[in-house]
Amino acid sequence: MIPAAFEYVRAGSAEEAIGLIGEHGEDAKFLAGGHSLLPLMKLRLAQPTVLVDIGRVTDLSYIRDGGDHIAIGALTRHMDIENSQLLRADVPLLAHAASHVGDPQVRHRGTIGGSLAHADPASDLPATTLALGATYVAQGPNGTRQIAAGDFYQGFLTSSLEPDEMLTEIRVPKMNGAGWSFQKFNRRAQDWAIVGVAAWRRNGDSGVALVNMGSTPVLASSVSTALAGGASIEDAAQQAAAEADPQADLNASIEYRTHLAKVLVKRALTEASN
Amino acid sequence: MSVGSSSIRIDAHAKTTGEAQYPGDRAPAHALAARVVFTDQPHARLLRLDVAKAEQMPGVIAVFTGRDVPVNEYGLTEFDQPVFVSIEHTGRTKVESDISRWEADHLALVVADTDEQATAAAAMIEADWAQLPIVADIDQALAPNASLVHPELKLDSNIYHTYKIRKGSIDAAWADAAVIIETTYELPYQEHAYLQPEAAVSYIDEEGRVTLEVAGQWAHEDQEQIAHALDLPVDQVRVIYPAIGGAFGGREDMSLQIVLGLAALRLAERGEHRPIASRWSREESIVGHHKRHRGRIHAKWGADSNGKLVAVQSEAWLDAGAYNYTTNKVLGNCHLGQAGPYEVPNAQIDSHAVYTNSVPGGAFRGFGGPQAAFAAESQMNKLAEALGIDPVEIRLRNAVHDGSIGITQTVMPAGVTMLQVIERCASESQFHQPLTPAEPFSPFASLPPVEGDLLRGRGFACSFKNVGFSFGFPERCEATIVLHGKPDSPTAERGELFHAGADVGQGAHTAFLQMAAEATGLAFENMTGGFSDTSSSGDSGSASASRLTFMSGNSILGAAEAADKAWRNGDRPAVGHFRYVPPPTEALDPETGAGAPNFSYGYVAQTVELTVDRATGHIVVDRVVSTHDVGRAINPANVIGQIEGAVVQAHGYALSERLQVENGRVLNPRFSTYLIPGIGDVPTRIESVVLELADPNGPWGARGMAEMPFMTYAPAVVAALHDATGVWFDSFPLTPDRVTAVLAQAAAPSSSGR
Ligand SMILES: Cc1cc2nc3c(=O)[nH]c(=O)nc-3n(C[C@H](O)[C@H](O)[C@H](O)COP(=O)(O)OP(=O)(O)OC[C@H]3O[C@@H](n4cnc5c(N)ncnc54)[C@H](O)[C@@H]3O)c2cc1C
Repeated sequence: MIPAAFEYVRAGSAEEAIGLIGEHGEDAKFLAGGHSLLPLMKLRLAQPTVLVDIGRVTDLSYIRDGGDHIAIGALTRHMDIENSQLLRADVPLLAHAASHVGDPQVRHRGTIGGSLAHADPASDLPATTLALGATYVAQGPNGTRQIAAGDFYQGFLTSSLEPDEMLTEIRVPKMNGAGWSFQKFNRRAQDWAIVGVAAWRRNGDSGVALVNMGSTPVLASSVSTALAGGASIEDAAQQAAAEADPQADLNASIEYRTHLAKVLVKRALTEASN
Repeated sequence: MSVGSSSIRIDAHAKTTGEAQYPGDRAPAHALAARVVFTDQPHARLLRLDVAKAEQMPGVIAVFTGRDVPVNEYGLTEFDQPVFVSIEHTGRTKVESDISRWEADHLALVVADTDEQATAAAAMIEADWAQLPIVADIDQALAPNASLVHPELKLDSNIYHTYKIRKGSIDAAWADAAVIIETTYELPYQEHAYLQPEAAVSYIDEEGRVTLEVAGQWAHEDQEQIAHALDLPVDQVRVIYPAIGGAFGGREDMSLQIVLGLAALRLAERGEHRPIASRWSREESIVGHHKRHRGRIHAKWGADSNGKLVAVQSEAWLDAGAYNYTTNKVLGNCHLGQAGPYEVPNAQIDSHAVYTNSVPGGAFRGFGGPQAAFAAESQMNKLAEALGIDPVEIRLRNAVHDGSIGITQTVMPAGVTMLQVIERCASESQFHQPLTPAEPFSPFASLPPVEGDLLRGRGFACSFKNVGFSFGFPERCEATIVLHGKPDSPTAERGELFHAGADVGQGAHTAFLQMAAEATGLAFENMTGGFSDTSSSGDSGSASASRLTFMSGNSILGAAEAADKAWRNGDRPAVGHFRYVPPPTEALDPETGAGAPNFSYGYVAQTVELTVDRATGHIVVDRVVSTHDVGRAINPANVIGQIEGAVVQAHGYALSERLQVENGRVLNPRFSTYLIPGIGDVPTRIESVVLELADPNGPWGARGMAEMPFMTYAPAVVAALHDATGVWFDSFPLTPDRVTAVLAQAAAPSSSGR
C-alpha cells in the first residue's frame, strides 16, 4: 500500500503545468486533489514517474455566472460546489450531487476537474454533468478546445483528453427551474455509488444519466425519448438500462445493478416531476 | 466505592492523545524488518524451495524456513499446522509439513535492514508446487470421495470432530407436536476487523529470554506455543502485551509470535542482537488470520398447541478451514446453543467440525454461540408465528429458570435469570405497544421517503452465553497484590496489582484496578498495575469467553485477602498471591452429551426495530433495546461500551459483512469491499438495559457480558424483517441484493411464501 517512487513538481499556473507535463512526457501526470490518483498509485495500478501538482493553481478555482451557463474552474473543490449559492440557484442538481461525493474530507480535497478527468464511471460528477449537457474546456500546448460531456468519456478511466491537455473549466447550462433529482444508492453511507442517477425534467425535455452502470457514465437517452413520446414514468423507467452495460463486481451483480437502475430512475423522475 | 462507578479508563488519555504504544509502535529505529511470506497455495505439496537468491538480495540478514524451526508444528488446541510449510522435516511433527493447506500458510520469514529490502527479497523466493485438489467448502468436503485435508488423521471423511446430544425420545416426541418447523440455515464468515493489524517486535531480553511484544489474548498460552515450536523451556520465553488494538477472538491464535521468536533466537546465535519488527498490512491481516466460522444448521423443532417445546432435532456443520485453531471448542459452544435457552424434553443434536482448504474458523465474540442462536431463535420465532403466539410469550413459556435441567441433562448453574431478562426487554422496548414511526437518523443514512416501498418491523430474540472455559478445561486465574505503607500503620498507603489478563480495548485493566481498590480498601488512585507480562504475572487465562472480569475479580479478591493477612503479619511490603479456581465443569458424554459443561451464564434479550426499502433492499435499523443481566456492573460506562460495540459488530455480521472466499482464496481482503458498518450505518438508537442480578459465584455478583449483546442481534433483525415483509430470511448477511432477491422469490407465484 505504498506507491512506487516518483518525482514531484509543483506548477503555479496552467501554462506551467502543461509545459512541465510536456517536458516529462508519457509517464507524467497531473495531481489535483489526489483522491483518485493516489489510491491507484498505492495499489500500483498507476505508476507515474512524475507528478505535476496543480493543486495550488488557485486561479482555476472559481464559480462564475457565464450568462446561459455557470463556469466552474477545474480546480474547484467539491465542497465549494456544494456550498455555492450560484450553483444552488442555477444548477441545483450539481450542487446537490457534489454534496453526496464521499465524506467531508474527500469533498475538501477532491476537485471537479480531477473527478471528470479521471473518468471513473462510479464517480458522481461525470454522470451529473453528462445529464446536464455540460461542456468541458481543455487547454493544451497549442491552445484551448471545448469538448461536449457526451464526447468526453471514451472508456473505463479513459477520456478524450490528450496526455498534455489539462481541463481548465466546466461550463454547465443553467437549469432554468427544471425539476431535478439525484439518487445515489450505496451499500455503506458516504461511500461510492453502487448505482446512481442524475436527472432533470422541464416540460417535454429531460436528461438522465447513470453512475456505475457501464465502463463510462451512461446517458440514458431511451428514458428521455420515452418520456418525450408521452410514456409514463413507470414505463420510461423500464428503459433505464437500455444504454447501460453494467459490470459485476464484489459489491453487486449485473442483475442487481440493472434492477437498481430502474428503481432509481423511477424515483428520480418522480421527484423531478414534483 | 470503586466497584460500580464509571472510573475513567486508565488508558483513555494515552489513547486519545496517540501516546499509547501498540505493538507496531514498539519497534526501535534500529530494528530489523521482517516479512512473512505466505504460500499463496490453498492446497499443494511443496516440491522445491530455493531461498538462495533471496538471501543474496541487498540488506538481507537471513531467510528462515522450516529447516530452522526446532519443532515445526503449532496450534492452540492441537498441533496440526506447520510453522513453515517445508520439505525438510525435523521428524517431530505430527502433521505433514510439506503441504500447504491454506493460502496463508507461512513459507518463509525474510529479515533485512529495511522493510523495502525484505519485501524485495521475498519476491525472489522460488517454490515449485504440485497442486492437490482444493476442498473449497463444506459441500465439497462432505462429498463422497472428497479429497482429505488431513489424511494423517486416518479418518474416512473431512469431519474430524462430532458432538452429540441424545435426550428423551425424539422419535416418539413428534407425535405430541402441534406444529413442526424445519429449516436449513446458512451462516456466513465474519472478519474481526480490529483496528490494529498484526504486529510484533522480538528480541532477547536482559535475562536471555526470547521476548515478544505483541498483541494477544492470553500471554501465557502464547508463551507456551512459542516455547513448544522453539523447543525451549517455557521460562526461556517472555511475552509482553503493550496496548492492544482490539481482538474479539481474532488474536487467540498465533500470527507473528512464533516466527519472530524464531528469528530472535537464531539471529542471536549468530551474534545479531538487533530487535526484529514486523507488521501486516490490512490485506495480510484479513487473508492471514482466522474468521468466525461459516456453517450450516439444519433444525427441526416441534411444539404443542400451547407453544411448549416437545422436541428439538438439529445438526450443525462448521467449516473449520485448514486447521483446527479453536474449532473443537467453538463447535462445543455452538452445539450447546442449538436448543436455545429453553427447557427441551427431547433432543437429538449432532454437531460436526469439517476440514476444508478455506481460511480457518476460530474464536470470535460469541464463540459459536451466535451461529446456534440464529437457528434457535429463528426456529422459536417461526413456531410463535405458526401457533399465533406472541414471540415474548412463547419464550416465557419455555425459557430456563433456576432448577431447570439443561440440554445436557444437568441442572443449570444457579442464578438463571432468562425470564427476568425477557420480561424486562419486552417492557423497556414497549414490545406490546403499536410500533411508532422511526426518527430519521442523519442526512447520509436516511432512506428516501418513498411511499409504499418503506416497511417497518419489529423482532425479538433472547439467548445465553457461558462465562469461562467449558467442558472440564482447567479454568484458573492468578493475581498478585503488593501493599506498601509504614511499618506501624494499620492500613496500606498504596497497592500494586500484577495481572496477566489482556486489556484488548474493553477496559479490563481499569476494571482490575477498581476491583483491587475495592478489595483492599484503597482508593482507586492509589492502586497501580503491572499488566500482561509473563515475567511478572501468573497465568490469568484468556481475555475471552466473557470470563475476564469474573475470573480476575475472584483472583483479585483472593490476592487482596492474602495481602491483607501478610500485612497484618507485619510484612512490608505485604505480598498476596492467589489462584482462583471456579466450580468444576465436565466434558460431555460422547454418546448422550450428558454433563455439566459450564459454571456460569450471562443472559440477554433484544428487541430490534427496522425499516426496509423493499425496492432497493436497503435496511436501516431504527432502534435496538439490548437487555442484559450482568450480575454487577463493575464499570457501568464500560458495560454500555461493550453493549453498543457488540451491537455494531453484530450489525455488520447481520447486514453488510460478506467475506467472499472462492476456491480457498479470500477475494475481498479490503475495507472497500468487505463492508463493516460506518457511523452512518449503525443503528439509529441503541438502548442498553442493564440488570444486576448477582451470580452466586461472581465477584461482587458480576457475570461476564461482553459476548452476549452479539448473540441475539442477527435473529432479532431477521424477525423484524419478517414482521415488515412477511418473509423469513434463513441466510445472511442481509445485503440489499439478497433482500431484493429473496423478496422477489417469495412474491413469485410458484413460491411457497418462504
Ligand atoms: C475515500 C474516498 C471516497 C470517495 N468517494 C467518492 C464518491 O462517493 N463519489 C465520487 O464521485 N468520488 C468519490 N471519490 C473520489 C473523489 O471525488 C476524487 O476527489 C475525484 O474523483 C478526483 O479528484 P482529485 O482532484 O482528487 O483528482 P486526482 O486524484 O488528483 O486526479 C485524478 C486524475 O485526473 C487527472 N487530473 C486531475 N486534474 C486534472 C485536470 N485539471 N486536467 C486533466 N487531468 C487532471 C490526474 O492526472 C489523475 O489522472 C472518493 C475518494 C476517496 C478517497
